[in-house]
Amino acid sequence: GAIRAMSSAATTPPSVDKVDGFSRKSVRKAKQKRSQSSSQFRSQGKPIELTPLPLLKDVPAPEQPELFLKKLQQCCTVFDFMDTLSDLKMKEYKRSTLNELVDYVTVSRGYLTEQAYPEVVKMVSYNIFRTLPPTDSNEFDPEEDEPTLEASWPHLQLVYEFFIRFLESQEFQPSIAKKYIDQKFVLQLLELFDSEDPRERDYLKTVLHRIYGKFLGLRAFIRKQINNIFLRFVYETEHFNGVAELLEILGSIINGFALPLKAEHKQFLVKVLIPLHTVRSLSLFHAQLAYCIVQFLEKDPALTEPVIRGLLKFWPKTCSQKEVMYLGELEEILDVIEPTQFVKIQEPLFKQISRCVSSPHFQVAERALYYWNNEYIMSLIEENSSVILPIMFASLYRISKEHWNPAIVALVYNVLKAFMEMNSTLFDELTATYKSDRQREKKKEKEREELWKKLEDLELKRSLRRDGMIPT
Amino acid sequence: MLQFICFGSNHIKQNVFFRMQDLQDLDNETCWLVKELKSYIAQEADFLPRETGLNIMESAAEVGIAIPVTQFYILYLPFSSVLMCYFDVLLWCLTFIFQNHNGVSAKCRNAKVEDLWSLASFFGFSTQTFVLAVNLLDRFLAIMKVQPKHVPCIGVSCLHIAAKMVEDECNISPTHELIRISQSKFTVSDLSRMEKIISEKLNLELKAITALTFLHLYHAVIVSLTSERGEIPSIERLEAQLKACLCQLIFSKAKPSVLALSVITQEFDALQSLAMLEIVQELQRHLKIIDSELLYWRGLVAKCMTEYSSSECNKPDNKKLVWIVSRRTAQNLHANHFSVPELPTIPEGSWDESESEDSCEDMSCEEDSLCGSPGSDAEGAFFPSEFCNQGRK
Repeated sequence: GAIRAMSSAATTPPSVDKVDGFSRKSVRKAKQKRSQSSSQFRSQGKPIELTPLPLLKDVPAPEQPELFLKKLQQCCTVFDFMDTLSDLKMKEYKRSTLNELVDYVTVSRGYLTEQAYPEVVKMVSYNIFRTLPPTDSNEFDPEEDEPTLEASWPHLQLVYEFFIRFLESQEFQPSIAKKYIDQKFVLQLLELFDSEDPRERDYLKTVLHRIYGKFLGLRAFIRKQINNIFLRFVYETEHFNGVAELLEILGSIINGFALPLKAEHKQFLVKVLIPLHTVRSLSLFHAQLAYCIVQFLEKDPALTEPVIRGLLKFWPKTCSQKEVMYLGELEEILDVIEPTQFVKIQEPLFKQISRCVSSPHFQVAERALYYWNNEYIMSLIEENSSVILPIMFASLYRISKEHWNPAIVALVYNVLKAFMEMNSTLFDELTATYKSDRQREKKKEKEREELWKKLEDLELKRSLRRDGMIPT
Repeated sequence: MLQFICFGSNHIKQNVFFRMQDLQDLDNETCWLVKELKSYIAQEADFLPRETGLNIMESAAEVGIAIPVTQFYILYLPFSSVLMCYFDVLLWCLTFIFQNHNGVSAKCRNAKVEDLWSLASFFGFSTQTFVLAVNLLDRFLAIMKVQPKHVPCIGVSCLHIAAKMVEDECNISPTHELIRISQSKFTVSDLSRMEKIISEKLNLELKAITALTFLHLYHAVIVSLTSERGEIPSIERLEAQLKACLCQLIFSKAKPSVLALSVITQEFDALQSLAMLEIVQELQRHLKIIDSELLYWRGLVAKCMTEYSSSECNKPDNKKLVWIVSRRTAQNLHANHFSVPELPTIPEGSWDESESEDSCEDMSCEEDSLCGSPGSDAEGAFFPSEFCNQGRK
């Protein structure tokens, strides 16, 4: 792995180590681990006292709903986990209460009265909704640095767990719940996706997924807000930690789209998902993004052309790591492409692949050449070899002679051999043309050199004549 | 004097009255060319592969024992292990017998020649190198009984020998590169040993007179005898056609002079160039090439050409080629697969969800009970019917 050099000097500029051709920022200031503090406002010094309540299982059934409500209210009390020594007994009490509530919601029946709904939502809101602390946004590299974890996770996790089971409960009725789980709630929930703690984001993902599933009236709103988050992310901040999770949810939504696709969804694909590829931190969510794209294309193959043209438009020009990702995604798209769609985009597509194959970055070249190991892609190329072969030929032939990496040269042989077997006549024609072109070029070069030489001689003669060396 | 021959639809076709007996009237170059042709024809028999050897190759059956072996195992798995051992031994014996006693088949040789064509093309070797390599290969295989597993080594050795004789020193890649690109399993020392063996067995007569030699000479003669250069197919085109023919073992039986003439004749035939055909006929008469022989080979060449220029693609046999990628790329290939997501699919409703929440509220009861549970993990009715009326105002 990469070695981190810790420098004590505060003003050391970050140097860039190269591992496998990809740069890594591996010099950082010695980082003081700042635990995440929530901005909950709490009174200093006063210890929190909660009267211990009996266990739910120890109480007869008719009294349980009321006890349930009381426990919920108690759990609205939020503790300060920054101070690891304060209120230890009460923290433990809340934790065990939350645990109890989780079990209760999972197994019980008939406990969910109408009064419970607002109390549940209130308790959850009190616990989870908070302003997230600012990150070291300039220096935090999501790929390399450890994320700052949420300090109050022991309670927070149980609150999320509880909420999910509540939503999934048999007795849960969206028509009642929708008075309390409304747009404002959803908005605050979405903001939490920016949390640095991946465990929290994972729970939020499940929560939002369930809410989207059950609250039909909120679906359009949720989609719109996710749109806004992504657009802000792409065009304004390039900072948001929850893109992967949101994309996962979107994947399950896209999967369920009804046909024919609504215009709104197609717009989303072209205006939001494709531009999402341009972000620098693509590697953090690329797998989920590619999945969404492929799902869209499986729903409506006619979208293939705009998607591929979009990718080609945004093709990375300076980031090779991204190029490799794009090539991976493109292969996944080609795996499901319909032959009629393929024919529409084959020319610009293979022009780009031809450039990738000639890339001096060997991983880009390798990944592009590996397309020829894909049986389905090969069958498509075969059917259209008369168009594709001329596009690929020049770069393949050139790099077979010029590329520095021997492994690439060996792969090029495989590809050329495949082409040769596919369409011998065309291949021979192209070889002949290429050779004659090269000879013509060489001839021109030689002529140019001779011309320069003549001019030099002429200049020399003239200067000698001037100096009286050669009689005029 | 030279009679100018006009051809093509734009020109009036004159009856060609051209007799090669008027040799002394031809210019020096053409004269010399024809003399060369005659002397080569006298020598060409020395470089023909032995016909009996070629016949053996043609009749050798291709043994495909590998596939049935696995099928056998699948079929007989339930049987006792003793029985499996029996089959094991039996199959092994059969494979051994067939492999060692069957020699090289035509199919094996043809596949190898195609490989050589790819390699020669890849390394930028001239057609002459390729044709010479094929000639050496055929001559060697025709006199030696070799095991099919040695054919790759023999093939590459022939190519290397030919390259050394034909190409400039700087154009020849080092042997380890040849071996690496051809994905061969033998070593550099194996290669040089094989080259020595081949040279010895062919009595060091390596600079062969091949069909290509004749092709170039014929082409030169025709060029010198006609003024309309544009109508003559390029030598590259003819070379490509000859290469295609050489990929089939049968053409190694033909005399090089006849084969080259057949290729040219076939091309003129296809171009419907009557005037050219007349020149060819005269050439044939002068060089005393038998009519029936030429006709026979022309037929085969025609068939070969239809296959060569057909738009049907031969399916590339990618399985034979090894795709070696770097460790990082291999990791990428596995990692990038975002397999089945954990979140279950949420089906989209048929109603218009972009309506405001208020109107949805009014409709929600009926819709809910109709569509069941959208993506919920909970069992049972999504919305119990007794609550249906409560929501309505």
